[in-house]
Parts: sequence; C-alpha cells; structure tokens
Amino acid sequence: MRKNLWKLLVTMAILTTFIPGLAGCATPTPEVIEKVVTQIIKETVKETIIVEGTPQVIEKEVTKVVEKEVTKVVEKVVTATPEPKPVEPVTLRVGMTYIWDTANPTFGWYNYGLRYLLYDTLVEEAGISNFVPGLAESWTVSDDGLVWTFKIREGVTFHDGTSCTAEDVAWSLNWTIENEIETFSFYLINFQEIIALDPTTLQVTLSEPVGNMEYLLMYVWILPRSVWEGMSYDDIMEFEDFAAGTGTGPYKLIEWVEGEYLILEANENYFRGDPAIDRVVYQEYATEDVMVQALLAGEVDVIDTVPSTAIQTLEGVENVELAVMWSTEIDELIINSHENGTQPASLNDPAVRLAIAYATDKQQIVNVAYLGYAEPATVVVPASLGKWHNSDIVDIPFDPTEGCRILEEAGYVDSDGDGIREDDDGNPLEYRLYATEDATPARILEIISDGLAQIGISAPPTLMDEDSLIGLYPDFDFDLIYWGWGLDPDPDFAMLIFTCDQREEGGWNDSGYCDEKFDEMYIQQGTMVDQEARRELIWQMQEQLFEERPYIVLTYVQNVQAFRSDRFTDFGLYAGDILWKSAFLQAKPVQ
Amino acid sequence: MERGNYILRKTAFAVATLIAVLIFNFVLFRILPGDPVKLIIHSPRMTREAQERIRANFGLDRPVWFDGERWREGNVLGAFDSQFAAYVRNLLRGDLGISFASRKDVADLLAERAWRTVVLVLGGDVIAIVLGMAVGLIAAWRRGTRLDLAILLWGLFSWALPTFFLGIILLILARGRLPVGGMVTPGLKPEDGLAYWADVGKHLILPTITMAIVYTSEYILIMRSGVMEVLAEDYILTAKAKGLSTLRILRDHALKNAMLPMVTMIALTFGYTVGGAIQVETVFSWPGIGRLMYEAVQKRDYPVLQGSFLLLAVSVIVANLLADLLYSVLDPRVKAD
Repeated sequence: MRKNLWKLLVTMAILTTFIPGLAGCATPTPEVIEKVVTQIIKETVKETIIVEGTPQVIEKEVTKVVEKEVTKVVEKVVTATPEPKPVEPVTLRVGMTYIWDTANPTFGWYNYGLRYLLYDTLVEEAGISNFVPGLAESWTVSDDGLVWTFKIREGVTFHDGTSCTAEDVAWSLNWTIENEIETFSFYLINFQEIIALDPTTLQVTLSEPVGNMEYLLMYVWILPRSVWEGMSYDDIMEFEDFAAGTGTGPYKLIEWVEGEYLILEANENYFRGDPAIDRVVYQEYATEDVMVQALLAGEVDVIDTVPSTAIQTLEGVENVELAVMWSTEIDELIINSHENGTQPASLNDPAVRLAIAYATDKQQIVNVAYLGYAEPATVVVPASLGKWHNSDIVDIPFDPTEGCRILEEAGYVDSDGDGIREDDDGNPLEYRLYATEDATPARILEIISDGLAQIGISAPPTLMDEDSLIGLYPDFDFDLIYWGWGLDPDPDFAMLIFTCDQREEGGWNDSGYCDEKFDEMYIQQGTMVDQEARRELIWQMQEQLFEERPYIVLTYVQNVQAFRSDRFTDFGLYAGDILWKSAFLQAKPVQ
Repeated sequence: MERGNYILRKTAFAVATLIAVLIFNFVLFRILPGDPVKLIIHSPRMTREAQERIRANFGLDRPVWFDGERWREGNVLGAFDSQFAAYVRNLLRGDLGISFASRKDVADLLAERAWRTVVLVLGGDVIAIVLGMAVGLIAAWRRGTRLDLAILLWGLFSWALPTFFLGIILLILARGRLPVGGMVTPGLKPEDGLAYWADVGKHLILPTITMAIVYTSEYILIMRSGVMEVLAEDYILTAKAKGLSTLRILRDHALKNAMLPMVTMIALTFGYTVGGAIQVETVFSWPGIGRLMYEAVQKRDYPVLQGSFLLLAVSVIVANLLADLLYSVLDPRVKAD
C-alpha cells in the first residue's frame, strides 16, 4: 500500500516536472558543430599569437606566412569535406554577473576590462605598475618635467575607418578636458596644452610636473572625433548609440542586449595584429553560483569571479583551471582619527591603537574569511604594487598577551572585574565596531571582536546596510569600521585618502586622519619626476601611517577566476583579472 | 443600480490605494540613508563642481517637499518647485525618471523587460492553474482516500519548497542538457524566426517547471478545500439524489461554486506576475522585471526600483479590482456587501 502511495507521488512529480520539458530535449546541441570547426581554426590562430610577442619589423613578414597557412588550412577543409561549411570564428564565452551599465564611456563605470578591449590609451599596463607603450610608441620628457613629447604609432585607425594620428589624439585629450568627462578627465588636471607637432608627434605641456605620467595616461581612452565632435555636454551624456564603443582597440562592439549578452568581434586592423580570438561573447548570469554551473556545463569558457564557497568545488574538476592572482584590493580596520569625531578619547591613545593591532589575528582572517586566498597585510600600499610597497615594515604579530601588557602599562586596568578595562576617568573601553551586512565582513568582524575581547576591550560586532554605514562618514560618528578598497596601480590614491582635504563632504578620507606633514609629502610626491626619490617618499608616508594607525590594514586579497582549460589556454595573469587587455590578448584556443 | 454602486465603490477604493502607493513610493526612497549623488558618481576624484552639476541634472538640488525660502521671498510658484512636485509632474507625463546606472529612461527599461517576464510567467501560470484545478478537484471528490492523502502531501510538500532552492536543484540536475541561464543563446535574434523561438523555448523549460511546481500546489490546496466545502452542501446531496452523474455534479454544481476563491487566486497570480518571478528570474538569469529589481537593489539604482515598485503596485491593484468586478458577475450576492 505504501508502495502505491510512493508510486503516485513519483508519478505526480514526473507529471508536473517533465511533460512541458519534452519538446526542448529534441533540439540538437549546437556545441558539436562548433567543436569541429574550432579545431580547424586553432592551428592558424596559434601562429598569430606568436607574432604578437615579436618586434614590429618581423611582425609583417610573419603575418604573411600566417596568411599562407590560413589558405592551406582552408584547402584541407575543402578536401576533407565535400561541402565546405563557412569557417566559424573562435569564440570565447565569458560569464559575468553584470556586463556593464552603458556603452557610453563618458559615464560608464562598470567593466573597465571590457572597455579596454574597445579603446586604446597612449600607455598601457602589462602588469601592475608595469607600463608599456600603447598608442604612443615612445616618449621623452624635458629636464624641468613640464614638456612631454610622445611618438604616436603610424597607420592606426578607429573601428569606423577614420585615422588616429597625433592630431586626433590631441583632439581627444582636449575634448576630454573641455567637457570634463566624468570617468577620466581628472587624470588630466595638470595638462595645460596639448598639440600635435606633426601626424606622429604629440606634445603635452603641464602646469606643474607630475610624478606618475604613465599611470595617468593609462586611464585616458582615445576617442574618435568622427563620433563625438560637435556634441553638447547633455548630448554626450545621453549618447546611447553603439558608436560610443568606437575606438582603436583589438575588439569592436557588435551587439549588446541589456541584461542578457554582449558580443565583440576582433578588429583585424588592430595595431598589434588581428587578435587570436575572433569573437568574445559576454553572458550575464544573475548569481555567481549559477555562473559556476554554467562553467561546469561548458556553456561559458571563463567566469570573472569564483565565489569563495565554490573554489573547493572547482579545484578538482577536470578541464577547469583556476586563475589565482594578487589584486590591488586591501581590507582594513578603520580607527576613527578625526579630532571632532564621536569616538571615545581612549581610542586616540597610540597605546590603545598598538594594543588593538596586537589583538588582530590577521592569519585567522586569511584562513577563515578568505580560505587562504589572501595574505596578512602591513601597510596601505599592497605588495602587488611592487616597488611602491614598503617592504621594510615588520608587522605587529597577533599577541594578545603583549596587547594586555601595553594597556596595563598605559594605565588601562579592569577595576570593577567585569572583564572590560577602564581608563583613568573610569570610562570602560567599549567601542562601536561596524561592517556591512555581507557574509565575509560578518566573519571578519567576529574575529576582530573576539581578539579585542581577549585584551579587555568590548566591541560587539554590528552589521549594517552599506548606505547606513556610508551615512556615518560625514560626521565621523563611529569608532571602528571594517572596510575594503580596490586601489589604483599607482600609490597616489592610497595616499590621497589620508589627506585633510578629503575629509570634506564628498571626499574619500574615511578615517578622519589629518596631518600637515603628511599633506606636504603627498603634494610633493605628486610632482616628483625622479621615480626613486618618489618611492622613498611614498615609503616614508606608509611608515607614518603604520605608526599612527588610522587604519590597521588586515589583508591583501587574491582574486580567483576560472576558465575551461579544454577550450582555452595561456591567459596572462593581471591584477586579479585574466580578462584585462594585456592578459586576455595572450590567450589562445586549445588545439 | 446596486451593481453600479458596487463597481463605483471598488474603483474609488483602487484609485485611493494607488494614490497612497504613489506617495509611499516617493517617501520610501527619500528616508533611506545615504546621499544619492554618491551612488551616481563612482569616479574617485570627481570635482565638486561636476558633482553639483550631476545633482542639478537629477533634480536633487531641490528641496524634498516645499521650498520655504522661496515662499518667504514671495515666489509662490517657485516654492512648489520641489522634488515631490517634480515626481508627480513626471508621473502624470508617464516619465518614471532616469536610471542612475545606465541613465536610460526607466519607463523604457521596464517596457523592455516586461514582455520577457510575461513570456516566462504565462506558461508556468497556465500549467499551474489547469493542473492545479484538475488535481484539486479529483482530490476533493476522492476525499479521505489514499489518492487524496497523496495529493495533499504532495501539495503541502511542493508548496513549502523554497522556489530558489527547487530552481537550483533542477538546474544542477539538468546541467549539460538544458541551458542553466539566460533567455536565448547570444547572437540569436527574433528575426531568426523559428530558431530563435526554439532556443527561447529551451531556455524556458527549467524556469517554467519550477514555477509550475510551486504554483500548482497552491491551486491544488485551494481547489481541494473549496470543492470539499461545496460538496458538503445540501444541494449536492439533492443533486446526487436526483441521480445526476458524478461529472455533472462536479462540473455544474461543485466547480462553479468553488470558483470564487479561485478567481481571487488567479487574479492575484496574474497581478503578481510582473514582480512575482524575482526568485525564478534570479536563479535562471532571466532578463525580466524581477531581475531588473534585483540588480537595481544591488546597485542602489533608486529610480529603477521606484519605477518597478510602481508597476508592481499598479498591476496588483488592477488585478484585485478585476477580481472584485468578476465577483459581482459570478456571484449575485456580492453586491449586497
């Protein structure tokens, strides 16, 4: 009898589940066809990739050879199959949770990686802080650091066929400044005059020397006059046409269906040669977990984020490779340092700050919150920034006993036996400890709170909505906040967030730290053309921050992405993003 | 006459609800903490002047309700040039504002997404309604039997299943055979005709099944209890005594009388269609209104949220109104209320 009941339940389940599904199962899977075709193309494409690394002069010769091979391969196809099908392009499919907000680069904030495939910059980044020529082949600077002369590549054209000479580059830069283009005009603040001396020479005159010219230029896309000329500010902001994607970059914007997918096609006239991957398809998935399933199913070839919970799942999977890269992300505990902030006086005591540092178990945070994909941090400038990171600083170890000793010595004792220390006036060391209400911050806050409890400081974790948290900054109405930054590859921004000016409404100083000497050093480093001298100053600034502790920097974070190793290989690793231009252009399809 | 009165009363009530929703919708997004300009501007070093320009562009430089300063200056008209006045004015023009993220017209965004949601939900709804009513009817007719027990258990079980959980399980089971997400394989367009719609159909299978399973149970349970109640009535006994066939009793007497709660259910289902698929759309990456809202929450795109809330409220109110009006047709007693 029981059997009958189950039978019924199962039948019902089948009825409700599978009847409407039958029709779809019959359709043939297009994948099979695709595989056959990609095999043919792979050989030719691999050759093109090798071309990329070699100097330009040789490039031309090699390209010819490649062309010959192309025809050979096509012939093979003809003999192999009586009815030749059109050769399908090598397509790389990328899974993302959000493709981008708009094709308009003047206010589009999301997915710079994708935008960099469309546009070129004068200078590019091959690794973090490793600058290489982009549209500019080479450059020189006058002795006073004010006049920069760029040699612009010859024969470069925009996707719409218009040329990109030094005059066009000058037009684009001037246009960016005149219209205060939101996304990148501020990088050109010191640019006084930009002129083309001849079709391949660009001259930039600065109002004062800058210490990080290459870095500034790697953010400024060169946009075509043919698209943007003559538009008013409002026209620019409302421009939604796909022509907004026109640049000189390796890929052209072909199609974008909001909320669904975006298609790029290789620009065969790209100045480094026709890219190995012919088509890039970005597909949007609503959640990261489903994206992982899509990768496992082979519906996408790359996913741009792997949730930490899925890393272990993917680690052992055949044909899936994890790409683990150091990013420019840091995590920190902000200690309210504003002189008019609402924090208790004890929190301004260097001894208390030092004790908090001793009570912070960074290794535990790495293990628990990041499952090992991070490392304990010391200073604000992450190690991934290379020479800019002050590697002389030795971290305060996790040692609550030492923390207790320091507090004891400074006169903070637990006089009423409730486990919480009091200051001289009898005020208990009770701090407000906040973070945003997400899974990772919640875990980290627990670890911090537990550590503080061990040295007699009470800081129960409080999670709140991101907006509410940001709402506390203008009045500096907090004690401790767990927060994170994705920093620029140049240390300038990491230092900017500790300057006095940035404490004003709309600024980025979230600790309230303000020091005249530090501000002076900040201004000075920005104008230093001598990179070694600038590095020394930046190191000194980091040391000061480490000593005074507006931040206790917790971790440097790794990014994890994943791709189908049975379809593609040789992605470069760049700052947590294998889809970044320099990393992406190295990728090639598997034989 | 009485019916006219009833219709008038119900319509007036719907309009009043709508006005309340409009005001609430405005207030809700103004009491949220944080400066909306911070949400629009992402670039770390934008000048203050540029920030002000954006503030003015979005009308955020105006006072929320009323400009007291201008009022005191004697500028009566200018005093009402507030964010609320702009909101009402724009609504009357059908202008729902501009998305913070994409700077696209919110009304356009909603229109683009709405039909996709309808495509998704319609299939699931229709299957759920037909199947649910049929199974519920059988269960009620065979009440007390093992069949009834089985149906009841299944109904309760599938009703209790969280939609997203069921969706993910189905997705993992069907992985490799059916697409895990999206509405169509990138590159296919409606112009491709059959190939496009076949592809959409393939993408529809999993979400439709998920919706059908969850919604069917609701209909089963309500249909079952509704019919059971009717079957206990004296007139059913009379009908049986008259020697009417089971089919006729069920069709002409039981079903008709049990339809009232079903009408409400169906109306509500369709009312919630627009937003009710948030979970399914999120699991299956379906580019409908539900996912638009989900993304707008993540990006704090308030104009989009405001617009979709409004659409949601309007569709529920309209569906309710329709249900009320249908009631008066189906059941003559209703107008006496």
